[in-house]
Amino acid sequence: MKAARKSLVVPALMALGMMTTTSLSAEELRFTVWTGSDAHLAMLNGIAESFKETHPDVTVRFETIPAADYTQKLTFQLAGGNPPDLGWIMEDAAPTFGAAGVLMDLGPALRGIEGYGLEDFSPSAMGLWVDGEKVYGIPFSTSPFMIFYNKAMFDKAGLEDPLALAAKGEWDMDKFQQVSKALTEANPGKWGFEFKDGQGYDSRIMHALMPPIRAYGGNAWTNGECGFDDPEAVAAVQQLHNMVFKDKSIVPPGEQGDYFSGGSAMTINQISRASKMPEAGFEWGIAPLPSGPGGESPVIGQAAIVVFDQGKQKELAAEFLAHMTNEENVATMAQFFPPARQSVLNSDAFTQSNELISAEQMARVSDAIAKGKVLPSHERSPQILAAMAPRVDALWKPDADVAKALEAVCAAVQPQL
Amino acid sequence: MAVPATDKNSARFLRVPRLALKHREAVEAWLFVSPILTGFLIFFLGPLIAVFFYSMTEWNLLTQQAAFVGMENYADALSRNPDFWHVVRNSLIFAAGLVPLNMALALTLALALSRPFFGVVFFRAVFFAPVVTSAVAWAIVWKFLLQNEAGAVNQILAVVGIDGPNWLREPDWAMAAVIVTRVIKMVGLNMILYIAALQTIPRDYEEAARLEGASNWQIFRMVIWPLLAPTTLIIMVITTIGSFKVFDHIYLMTGGGPENGTLVLAFYIYEQGFKFFNVGYASALAMIMFVVVMVLTIVQLMLRRKDMQ
Amino acid sequence: MTLTVRQIRTLNRICWTISLLVVAIPFVFPFLWMISSGFKSATEIFGQPSLIPRVWRWQNFVEVFEYQPFARQYFNSLYIALAVTALTLVFSSLAGYALARMRFAGAGLLMLFLISALMVPEEVTIIPNFFLIRWMGLMDTHSPLILLPVFGPHGVMATFLMRQYFLALPKELEEAGKMDGLSRLGIWWRIALPMSRPALAAVAIITFLFSWNLFLEPLVFLSSLELFTLPLALSNFTDAYGLPLWHLQLAATSLAVVPILGVYLIAQRQIIESFALSGVKG
Repeated sequence: MKAARKSLVVPALMALGMMTTTSLSAEELRFTVWTGSDAHLAMLNGIAESFKETHPDVTVRFETIPAADYTQKLTFQLAGGNPPDLGWIMEDAAPTFGAAGVLMDLGPALRGIEGYGLEDFSPSAMGLWVDGEKVYGIPFSTSPFMIFYNKAMFDKAGLEDPLALAAKGEWDMDKFQQVSKALTEANPGKWGFEFKDGQGYDSRIMHALMPPIRAYGGNAWTNGECGFDDPEAVAAVQQLHNMVFKDKSIVPPGEQGDYFSGGSAMTINQISRASKMPEAGFEWGIAPLPSGPGGESPVIGQAAIVVFDQGKQKELAAEFLAHMTNEENVATMAQFFPPARQSVLNSDAFTQSNELISAEQMARVSDAIAKGKVLPSHERSPQILAAMAPRVDALWKPDADVAKALEAVCAAVQPQL
Repeated sequence: MAVPATDKNSARFLRVPRLALKHREAVEAWLFVSPILTGFLIFFLGPLIAVFFYSMTEWNLLTQQAAFVGMENYADALSRNPDFWHVVRNSLIFAAGLVPLNMALALTLALALSRPFFGVVFFRAVFFAPVVTSAVAWAIVWKFLLQNEAGAVNQILAVVGIDGPNWLREPDWAMAAVIVTRVIKMVGLNMILYIAALQTIPRDYEEAARLEGASNWQIFRMVIWPLLAPTTLIIMVITTIGSFKVFDHIYLMTGGGPENGTLVLAFYIYEQGFKFFNVGYASALAMIMFVVVMVLTIVQLMLRRKDMQ
Repeated sequence: MTLTVRQIRTLNRICWTISLLVVAIPFVFPFLWMISSGFKSATEIFGQPSLIPRVWRWQNFVEVFEYQPFARQYFNSLYIALAVTALTLVFSSLAGYALARMRFAGAGLLMLFLISALMVPEEVTIIPNFFLIRWMGLMDTHSPLILLPVFGPHGVMATFLMRQYFLALPKELEEAGKMDGLSRLGIWWRIALPMSRPALAAVAIITFLFSWNLFLEPLVFLSSLELFTLPLALSNFTDAYGLPLWHLQLAATSLAVVPILGVYLIAQRQIIESFALSGVKG
């Protein structure tokens, strides 16, 4: 029997040995982000380094979770009792996490810091992140969607580029359609336009649909009423649909036409993506989104820094958040992430902050921030997006009836609103 | 059907005269099974019971707030949520497509490869290779191959003059694509089970039939097929149950889309529980899945018992 | 006449071989295309399709390691699979031996009880297991990836496989061992196990692959990149913005699949037989 016990103990010990968890040192803050870009991480680590001036033994570990899975992985960590101390979150997750009570109220901490200047953040930018006196996050990126274009492909087609068109006031949805078609014809095997990162039919439905819908004066939903089947939205989506299936000027579903490797002449993205341009190897520029019957209506994607309420070092995490979003560091981050601090936004430093983008084009970015509206979000965003997705799939067929498909979208979304 | 053994064999050896010895043997036996039994109770049976209780709550994964709601989640699934029946339908279509295709192909390949000939080892190795490959790798590669015009499958079809569909963007084609790639992945397993069974059939049976002038088809129909019946039953049930378990394949190839066309039960449970935080509802779905699979298992056991008699 | 029959046979055989070759295409082609695409650049991958890359980009295989801690992830998969295999071998052969050779009250009931678990998909228990693992404080560690397979339905399947094999073994040697005063454990270790090498090998092979290919559990329990296992890492080759990096993903997939395929080709017969054994039992 002794032998029996012994040989049972060995594997048990083996199992135990494997269970040992890596414990964090008390003064390490874990910070989840979705960027893996070396340039971004270097900047973030620089900010963490400067925090040591006031907190010598605090280190911050930035943990990259790929954007596609970001909210899901964060959910696993939060629900799994393994929350990071701080993290970035996207606008569509804000109401969900806010309502679930997993975000720390930063109001008292931030108001208690002299010279922080919470009021410097424009109220419109803070809309998603404050609830009365409570502050659930500080936006670090209030980044409008811009048109990125491939100058060489425009030249080849003998067309004026979007920036020039915008300067003349001719950059509207109709022009956008014409130009895309002409570009497709002039560049065989390539496309005029690609949705954001080629994911407009899958994970970035909102990024594909919202800019034209807003340009036409529509909206996703207002006051609990679905707006996808309003005439404005139908007209906007019909135009996109024509471009994909009639003109064949937008990269269609299931195809690859990567703008960054020269597969498409235009795409829509945020300026943080400019960091990818030097390696693209072609002349490029950014321009505002085309205007529509509803006038100019820039669309903004927002992301904020939050402190998680379950974290064990909440106070310290809040201090780091305050440090990271002080005026100096916001100005540093502005090279990639357009700020919500008015003092920084209005400074020359901002328009000159990005060495890849000319001051003229950065001015367009500032302009879009001033006029733009954040992408729609909702407490039940995950459910809404999941309810939308199958109906939007049905929309992206050559013979789809756009109005009917959008009615189906609304029928699916309405119960969630 | 390698070793149809029974418990009777072991009993004789264990004839022990003294009661104390017998008692001691029982203690030892329990000690022998205790590691696996303990783990099994903790990580399997406990959770299985728990999931039943979870299924009667409304429980948010993120807020961790739970409330007892009785049978509401079941009522939701069965009568209120149209997605549920859509998912059940998909799961049934998936099974109805996968099982016959898998078995027919497995049997055909087994018949071709059960006798030695030049190249038999090569072919067996080829048809079995996807079985040892990770489903994740398999799904990734096929997703890549099945892209619309840039995908290799459609490029090849274009050479033959066929304008292939946009496989993973059309609900019906996506379902077909998932089924077929899953069959290719798993058919090798059933193939070798059939080969093993075929090799136990004495050659004399076939020779005798042939002497009587039976054709190949008649030999298969009258001799081989009846003798394969037990194997066929087992393979059928295993494959059917396996078809309900498919998660990674769907997760990576289609994510349940397009138009929810490939949203099957296993994936739906994951989505409800971990994406929409509905722990209670997801648990009710899990219970439903458990019952369905359990019924199939019992059917299998009954068939096996019948087969042993 | 004989000649014609022979000719027909040869013709028949050629027809069969050709049809088999055709059927084999979708089984082989994905592997070839995967490996060849792993050598292509991001642009070539969607250019003119060709099985031979225009430029062999060996640096893809370097970038795979720069993009993620891929070596670490590879090691994770390897050591987890080995641990699961070792523990499964010990526990399943112990329990299988008791169920085959020892008589004890409740054995029949226990069998039935374990059998009932055989077919329950892990999706059914994943939610309570999520809370159990959380409660045990093992979130984002490798422990659940070892514990759940060892003690879940797979472990039970291994137990039955071992039991069936022990039942078919001749008992004489064990009886002799008993005469020599060996304890039960001694008989199990010195006599029964050495005689069951084929079954142990089968359990080891199947268990290793089972663990190696596990996806749902790592997906739910792991969140740190450096703890990821291979299947999770493979599904993770999108750039920071969610764009698929096909060339890197396929290079990484090749790295994950080719060694297993290599071992499979070498030990093909043994591996196939192992599955035949388990499939019949399972």
